[in-house]
Parts: sequence; C-alpha cells; structure tokens
Amino acid sequence: MSSPGTVRAARPDLSRRRVPRRTQWTGRRAASVVALLPFGIFLLVFAVYPFIELIRLSLTKTNVNNAVFVSTWTGLGNFIAVLDDAEFYRSVGVTAAFVILTVLLSVAIGLALALLVDRAVILLPIARNALVWPAVVTPVVVSVIWLLILSPTVGVLNKALESLGLPAQGWINSGFGAFSAVVVIDVWHWTPLVFLFIYTALKGISPELYEAARTDGATERQTLFHVTLPLLRPALAIIMLLRTVQGVKAFDEMFLLTHGGPNNATNLISLRIRSLFFDQLNFGSAAATSLYAVIAVLLVVAVAVLIRNLRKGRVRG
Amino acid sequence: MDKKSSRRPNIAVEITLGIVVIVALIPIAWTVLQAFLPNRAITSRSWQFPFSLINFETIFGEGSAFGAQTLNSIVIVIGTAALCLIFGSAAGYSFSRLGPPKWLTVPALGLAALLPLVPPMTLVPGLYVTMSSLGLLGGSFGLILLNTLFNLPFAVLLMKSYFDQVPEELREAALVDGASEFRAFRVVILPLVRPGLAAVGIFVAIMAWNEFLLGLTMTSGGESAPLTVGIASLVQPYSVTWGQMAAAGTVAAVPIIVLAIFANRQIVSGLTGGAVKG
Repeated sequence: MSSPGTVRAARPDLSRRRVPRRTQWTGRRAASVVALLPFGIFLLVFAVYPFIELIRLSLTKTNVNNAVFVSTWTGLGNFIAVLDDAEFYRSVGVTAAFVILTVLLSVAIGLALALLVDRAVILLPIARNALVWPAVVTPVVVSVIWLLILSPTVGVLNKALESLGLPAQGWINSGFGAFSAVVVIDVWHWTPLVFLFIYTALKGISPELYEAARTDGATERQTLFHVTLPLLRPALAIIMLLRTVQGVKAFDEMFLLTHGGPNNATNLISLRIRSLFFDQLNFGSAAATSLYAVIAVLLVVAVAVLIRNLRKGRVRG
Repeated sequence: MDKKSSRRPNIAVEITLGIVVIVALIPIAWTVLQAFLPNRAITSRSWQFPFSLINFETIFGEGSAFGAQTLNSIVIVIGTAALCLIFGSAAGYSFSRLGPPKWLTVPALGLAALLPLVPPMTLVPGLYVTMSSLGLLGGSFGLILLNTLFNLPFAVLLMKSYFDQVPEELREAALVDGASEFRAFRVVILPLVRPGLAAVGIFVAIMAWNEFLLGLTMTSGGESAPLTVGIASLVQPYSVTWGQMAAAGTVAAVPIIVLAIFANRQIVSGLTGGAVKG
C-alpha cells in the first residue's frame, strides 16, 4: 500500500479536487459526518441503548440467573408498586427538601461572596483562586473531610466542645443532625461554583452603568437593588436551575457519610435507586424510580424554559 | 485593571473576606493535617500533633490495594481525557465549521443537552445491563468509556465555542491551497484552539479523577477499582483507620488543588462553561 507509486498517483488527485465546487462541498459533508461519528456512536451505545434497557427493566420483572438477566413482562406494575411504597415518598420528600435548601443557601451565599470579592482589593487575587478549591475536591474526599469534623468519636467539633468543658454531641447520629450536615456539606462543596458563576456575570456588567448611577446620585444600596441585581437575574436563574439539577444528582457525599440513614433521613433518590438495584436486587422498581426521577428533572427544566420564554415574550410586548 | 488598582481597599471588606476564605479552607487543611498524624493522636481526647508518615506508608505498603487503585485512576484519567479531546474536538469542529446534516445534528445536540440533566444514578441500571452484555464490567477500559460518555457533551460544546472564534477564512485558505479537510483541521485550525484543548483536557481529567458512582457500581472493588472507590472502602461509620482515610483523601485531593492553583483559568472556564451549557 505504501509503495512510492501510490503516493505519486495520489498527487494529481489533490490538485483536481479544488476545481469543481460541488465535489468540495460533498467532501465537507462527508467530513462533517465522519467527525461526528464517534460522538454519535458513544451516545447511541452508552446513552440511548442503556436508556432503552432502563425502560425495558422498568416494564419487566427481572431476575439474575447465573449472571444472566431474565425478564418477564409486567407492564406498568413496577410503576404502580413504587407508588405504593411509603419509602418512595419519604425519599422524594428528603430529596425535595435537600434541593430547595441547598439551592437557596448556596445561591444566597454565593451571591454575597461575589459581591464581597468584587469590592476587595488586597485579597482579590487570593480569594478568586482559593474560593474555587472546594468545588474541585473529590466528592468522596469531601465525605472524609467532614467525617473528620463531625464524627462523634474523633471529629474536631466534639474535641473542641470537650476542651471547652461542654458535652459532646451526636451530630450525624440523629436524623435531623445528619440531614442538616448533608445540607451544610453540599453548600460548602458547591457554593464556590455559584460564586464563580455570579462573579463572572458581575464582571460582565458595563462600568458605565455604575457611573451613570453615581452621577444620578444613587446610594450604594440603590445601585445594588436597581442596577446590579436586576442585571444579574439571568445568571441567577441559570445557576439556580443548574444547582437544582445537581441537587437531584447528589450521591457521593451522602452515600459515604450517612448511607441514607439514620432512619432514611438522608435517603436521597439516588441512594434509594442504588439500594433498590444493588442491595435488594429489585431491578424493576429501581428502573421505575429512575424514570420517575428523570421525568421530574425534565419537567422542572421544561417549566424553567417555559417561564423564561413567557418573560421574554412579555418584554418584547 | 486600572480602575481596580486605583480603588482604595475597604478594611471591613478585606477582613470579612479573609475570614470567609479561612473558614472555607479549614476543613481541607484539617484533613491534610490528620493525614500526617498516627491514629492514636487522631483518636486522642487531647490536642497533640506528632508528625508521622505511617499512614502513607500503610496505604502504599504491601497488602494494600491503594497503589493499584491510584494507578487505575491515572489510566482512567489519561484515557478519558484523550478520548474526550479527540472525539470532542472532532465533533465540535464538525458542528462549528462543517455544517453536518440535520438528521445528525438535531438528535446529537438534543442528547448532548439532555445527558447532563439526567442524574447519572438513574442511568446506572440500564448501563449496568449494557456493560454486562458487552463484557465491559469490572475494568478500567469500561470506566474510560463511561467517563468519556458523561464528559463528551461538555467537551463537544466547549470545543465548538472555541472553534466558532476561529475565522472561517483560515479553513478556506487551507482548502484552496490543496489541503484536505482533515489536514486543514489538524495543521491550521487545531493549533489555534490550544486554550480550548487545555481547558477541556484539565477539566475532564479532574472529573474523571473525582468520579465515584460509576467506579462503585461497575467494578467489584479491590484492585480493579479506581482510587475513589478505594477511599470509600476506608470510610466506615466506626472505622479505626482514620489516619489512612485522611492520607488517602489527601493523595486524591491535593493534586487537584495544586492544579486549581496553577491552572485556575482553565478550570474556571470549564466550571462556568460547563454550567452554561449543562
């Protein structure tokens, strides 16, 4: 194949190619398909096909026999069975509370941080760099970090309490304590992302607007509420939506720190799906619960997009 | 920049921010500190800090799977970053410059937008069955493919936004000079989007290094698992291996933080870019 003859023969080909326009266009079209092919195959094999498998699992009763999945059709039985399970509602409730609390807290703190960093001069470069770190720390290590703080036996919090002569606390040993801890940990982990996002949006606001506000004699507070915050609204909306999606995805930190306990107080939907599938081997219910979760996320996103479009329509008149 | 430096620092702002940064970083610093303490100092009721490397010696010593797991993670990071860079820049270039046919772009972009919205756990049942029938369960190769899947939409869209900034004339000029589409891409365009490749490569590497759920569900643990799963096996509610746990956590987290210090711009562009597109 690589004989000198073929190389020479290929040359006239190249020069001929640039003449007819149509050939060039089809070359581009072929290249466009070839370049997209790996991405397309990945999506087909590892996203579309597993999703079809997920739907199939949800509509069947599946058992594992000698490492082979054997399924019998049950129609919507799994979906109905899931709705009959009190644990499902408990898990949905925990997830909803978790999402609402973590989204509100991280966006409020992230916004405050962005405004604070924006006013800083000396610490600006350090803060802008260091405040990113918690967001890139391995989620599993986030559990380790907080276990070393909250553990009733070796945690630094109890150590500090005892040094001050105060009684040690159970922290993550009670349902309320564990749920609060999981919220605090998630907020610590992901507020940096919110901060970054809002800070970037803040830097995008034109300085002339602030100058105009100053010439008009606006106070700092007026500038914040009538110039800065309204201009940040799109960024705030996007980051809230993103954090909502992230909240439903949450798994690693809780799986390690609380295992969904105590008494399922931190049993987020992702933890419930894992336990249904891998511990109880109830593949049908795991798949049906998964599909409920996917539908819920897509509904939230669809509503958000709809609201945005309605707003846009109203502004345009 | 000029405006910044001419502004007078507000002492209250600087002090508040200093406290915030310290509070945000103390949890990380505490774990790193514990990694260098023997177990008896960690469990002790009093405050004592005898420096020791025993935890690192134990987790990388004989009979521990942690060394093998760290190697697995490095292999997964390199494989995932390479696949995401190759496939991501090819697809991103196609979307940006080559005008692929609608029947291909609409489903591909639709799926690329949907995938980041779906909680990965909800796909695990379907993925587990798929990987099991492809014989890809339990190894690093399967994890490279799955990590690539979850990072590829981000890589494609971020690369597309970088290709969008390259003037179209450059590609045309290369074609007129007789270059093939592939050559124009490889020799003329690709060197111009190096900042994009750096951002995608670094960000995807961090995501693959940090990944836990797929490693947990698609391997059976032990020497076949990535390092995150190894750390997880050290985290037991009433475990006595606190020092090893802290040391393993330090091994996983510190390289990423060092990367965050020196490649801050790329990571920020990955975090915020991924956020907008996700």
